Amino acid sequence: MRIQESMSVYDKLNILTDAAKYDVACTSSGVSRSNDGTGIGNCKLAGICHSFSSDGRCISLLKILFTNECIYDCKYCINRRSNDVKRASFTPDEICTLMMEFYRRNYIEGLFLSSGVLKSPDYTMELIYATLYKLRHEHNFQGYIHVKAIPGASQELIQRVGFLTDRMSVNLELPTAESLKLLAPNKTRKNILTPMRLVQDGMARNKQEVALYRNSPRFVPAGQSTQMIIGATPETDYQIMQVAESLYQKFELKRVFYSAFVHVNEDTNLPARTDEGPPLLREHRLYQADWLLRYYHFQADELLSEKNPNFNVLFDPKCNWALKHLEEFPVEVNRADYKRLLRVPGIGYKSAGRIVRARRFGNLDFADLKKIGVVLKRALYFITCSGRMMYPTKIEEDYITRNLLNAGEKLPQEVVNMGYRQLSLFDDVRFDADKVIRQSGM
Amino acid sequence: MMKTVYVCTDSVTGIFSAVYDAWKAQKAEGECEIALCGFMEQQLFCNYAEVEETEKKAAAVEHMIRKHMGTLAWHDIYQAALSADAGKGDAVLGTCLAARKLKDGKKIMEHLGHPKVRKVFELSRRVGNESHFLVEFIRFRELESGVMYAPITPKSHVLTCIAPHFTDRFPLENWMIHDKTHRAFAVHEARKKWVLVQEAYDETQKAGYNEYFQRLSEKEIEYEELFKSFCKTIAIKERENPVCQRGHLPLWYRPNMVEFS
Ligand code: SF4
Repeated sequence: MRIQESMSVYDKLNILTDAAKYDVACTSSGVSRSNDGTGIGNCKLAGICHSFSSDGRCISLLKILFTNECIYDCKYCINRRSNDVKRASFTPDEICTLMMEFYRRNYIEGLFLSSGVLKSPDYTMELIYATLYKLRHEHNFQGYIHVKAIPGASQELIQRVGFLTDRMSVNLELPTAESLKLLAPNKTRKNILTPMRLVQDGMARNKQEVALYRNSPRFVPAGQSTQMIIGATPETDYQIMQVAESLYQKFELKRVFYSAFVHVNEDTNLPARTDEGPPLLREHRLYQADWLLRYYHFQADELLSEKNPNFNVLFDPKCNWALKHLEEFPVEVNRADYKRLLRVPGIGYKSAGRIVRARRFGNLDFADLKKIGVVLKRALYFITCSGRMMYPTKIEEDYITRNLLNAGEKLPQEVVNMGYRQLSLFDDVRFDADKVIRQSGM
Repeated sequence: MMKTVYVCTDSVTGIFSAVYDAWKAQKAEGECEIALCGFMEQQLFCNYAEVEETEKKAAAVEHMIRKHMGTLAWHDIYQAALSADAGKGDAVLGTCLAARKLKDGKKIMEHLGHPKVRKVFELSRRVGNESHFLVEFIRFRELESGVMYAPITPKSHVLTCIAPHFTDRFPLENWMIHDKTHRAFAVHEARKKWVLVQEAYDETQKAGYNEYFQRLSEKEIEYEELFKSFCKTIAIKERENPVCQRGHLPLWYRPNMVEFS
């Protein structure tokens, strides 16, 4: 391990940004707070992006590691102990100065502080606490802070940090305990889920306190999130969605993030390197499905099954579901309830809400639906307006599939515009052990 | 009857004063119009009336709109009046007149079939979007004097939309946002309310403060370099996607952003 003495803040920032960039979450949402007039900063409920990097991702927070001098050896991670990379650690004051100077120039919305494990989980968490304490109390910073809880850190430290941060997250890292054991030998499912539960319980208790005493300090007010790496291990989309679902239900997480595996290390336990790049389409489909869980009242095992464990490359998960459940269609737009409308391809949750409100004033026809924002070229196979379909069509899987494809069913911009590389559309999404393909799904 | 065209300056006070005059003269839809100085097309068979612009008239119109058309409509109309569109005054007037014909004036913004209402709606959305982008993309530079200075070149008159956000966010800073398009400043002194100031028309005075804006604090360049380097490093090269980046951050905003200079 190379440790540099007396390194400039410029060099540290480069090293510790580079080391933090694979963390996906950069949102600053979930909490609304005005400045009390004595400090600097506020928070907007919807969050604010301040810039976009050349990979098209939003830059909202100063996303850095406290240190990459890590004693652990997670195989997918660039900072693993056995890698020969430049190492650096900030001091709490260095982070505070960077934060304040960036924030007052409107470069950023707040801090996203993660860290490798320096010496021990508690030692690291203590440093993170010191940083947040200074920011909140010495600099009177009232903007957004997202902090990573270090697995294995003591309960008491996590409690204390929870009162200084807006969002806390513990990375699940990999979807299953076996994968975790294989690729992150120093972490266990237990020491990841324990702090998650702790934060959940802390938030519940805090809600009662705040209800009783309006001015009691808030504990992780923007909620907790987590992330897992997609495509480094053989889990199916079905397994991943089941994990996500139980995190939402049992741990009340705000968000689960999916991070397409980027090859940074060579290791026999990792899938072999190919030139296909990270599995971005797969990542995208998982986000779409995640959205269906959170806003569209879908359940994981409606979308996928043991027999059909992966998402379709050509259609988004909702469309795919509809094609497999044609017996539920057509839906009569002027009568169907909100939840049924939500399940129609081409009707988003905003349009569904508008339909329910607008039809109180009279029956809607296809022209009205168009104005409301329904994507008719997708929806037309699945709906009737006052008993009539838009065109005579067959309600038949092959027929609709063909027509949707002819109508130019599009792949998402995020995936298509990766200029430098041809997309091969028909690669198998499944993890294939003997070929060990990088499951790119594209 | 000949149509009356009320001529006012391109400002909120101007437009609302014109609405006031039309309203006082009891004009109906089709009998009156608002035109902005500098954007006028001469029409035949019209009376041109120059509007005397006062804060008092504007305040009366604000009161009327809030009372009869509601806060949400007021918000849209106000934002529309800030837009960069020669027809905005007329759209505002048309919307106010259309509201008078409704039983419930508060429903006016749902009346999107009416061309003037639709126009107000679209203009308001445009101004709202631009303000939102600027809240994200404004960059302050620290001047030698310690003042935080942000130059912008917006299409609409957005200062009044964005200054409250920064007043809440930076109550203890001295900062100013300079709208170079419309030659105006939002100026905030620590612990005080912000104020709107017009740029001086005197050239020597202007040269004076332009020079003042160039004099940066000792540390300024250092932090700009740190941030530029941060933005470069945070990108994952395996995911490079400039089209997606452009979709979120239009080129139009970049000249004033340090990370793109
Ligand atoms: S704990 Fe694992 S994932 Fe985190 S920095 Fe260390 S090696 Fe990387």
